[in-house]
Amino acid sequence: MAPSLWPGKGRWRGAGRLTPWLLFVAALLMVRLSKGAGFADAYALVSRPFWPGPAQREWITSAADLEQQSRLQLLEQDNQRLRGLLELQQRGNSDGLVPAAVMSRTPRGWWQQLELGRGSSHGISAGDSVLGPGGLVGRIASVTPSTSRVKLLTAPGTEIGVWLPRSRSHALLVGQGTSRPQLRFIDKDPNVRPGDLVSTSPASTLLPANMPVGVIQSVDERSVPAPRAVLQLIAAPEAIDWVQVKTE
Amino acid sequence: MNRLHRQPICVASALLVPLATLSSPSWLTISGVAPAWAVLWLLPWALVDGPVSGVMAGLGLGLVLDGLSLDGGSQAPALMLLGWWWGRLGRRAAPIQRSLNLGLLAWIGAVVVGLAVLVQIWLRQGFVLDLGLRSWGLQTLVCQSLMTALLAPLLVSLQLLLWRRRTPG
Repeated sequence: MAPSLWPGKGRWRGAGRLTPWLLFVAALLMVRLSKGAGFADAYALVSRPFWPGPAQREWITSAADLEQQSRLQLLEQDNQRLRGLLELQQRGNSDGLVPAAVMSRTPRGWWQQLELGRGSSHGISAGDSVLGPGGLVGRIASVTPSTSRVKLLTAPGTEIGVWLPRSRSHALLVGQGTSRPQLRFIDKDPNVRPGDLVSTSPASTLLPANMPVGVIQSVDERSVPAPRAVLQLIAAPEAIDWVQVKTE
Repeated sequence: MNRLHRQPICVASALLVPLATLSSPSWLTISGVAPAWAVLWLLPWALVDGPVSGVMAGLGLGLVLDGLSLDGGSQAPALMLLGWWWGRLGRRAAPIQRSLNLGLLAWIGAVVVGLAVLVQIWLRQGFVLDLGLRSWGLQTLVCQSLMTALLAPLLVSLQLLLWRRRTPG
């Protein structure tokens, strides 16, 4: 073969051969940046016939009655003390619940999350609260048009402020990876005991107010700098097929 | 020789990894922890197709799996490292096909991926892992690596058989 008059031509041909692979890697980067939008949506489309049936929705409805009773009790107590925050309570109690089927769940492992079959086209956005039968399950971490991803309360890195109605004290719920998250108190003597109900703060602007979260299982009084407690969640993510997303 | 990455059907088989990760069948878990599906696909791929292809496959799988999981750590660096290592093993050593060897390699792979994620969590927590996180990390690491190693002789052997037939020589 005669030598080429264009010495750079071979190099450019090599680059041209690489182009499809560079485009492929760029497409994968797009998948990464969009938080798996294409894959999650395709999975939702494929797995739609296998989504849970309506039976658990009835179960959720009956559980919601119980949940409403406990919320009402909490609201009555707080109503006396928090007249100034009445507006916040009303906003927390307003409707705006979107039911969503759980199409994939990983309550254990490195990433503890749920994939829901509803997304931004149904009004769900990142930061919305996700409620299971009985209480709070987690918050929406990311959304695609037809799916959304929930970061569970048990996931490492989860931190939300909670309220203990009996002792009227605040605490920080911290996900530890295990099924029982940890409560870190601010006061050195929080006056809590096993069996105490834990709910979202009545003055919370990020989460729905007075939403039950769990029950204290044990308290470590000797922990420094402040006591800690282990929380048993009311809504266990392992068994949930339907959830409700509280949209803003 | 027709390399694996030039055969669309072989490349498309990688889609099984995100599918298995999303479906996460509960009967294939130990204490609720699923196997490292990416390791089970990447091991035979890199052994057959070499280190460069292994690195690229590790990068691709890592990016897709990072997109499908919460923020907090990436699997891509560990998968790329494993793809390169297994690719070199496949090129330089005698063909690896014994069940015990495949299980051992898959176990090491799952441990490397798990440790990489755990180190990233440790960094994000400000170089502190309290007792709860440490015990959870150890349990997840053990369960995932054990499940991966148990499935490897079955799944990896099958993939090696199929893919070696498609790349004679």
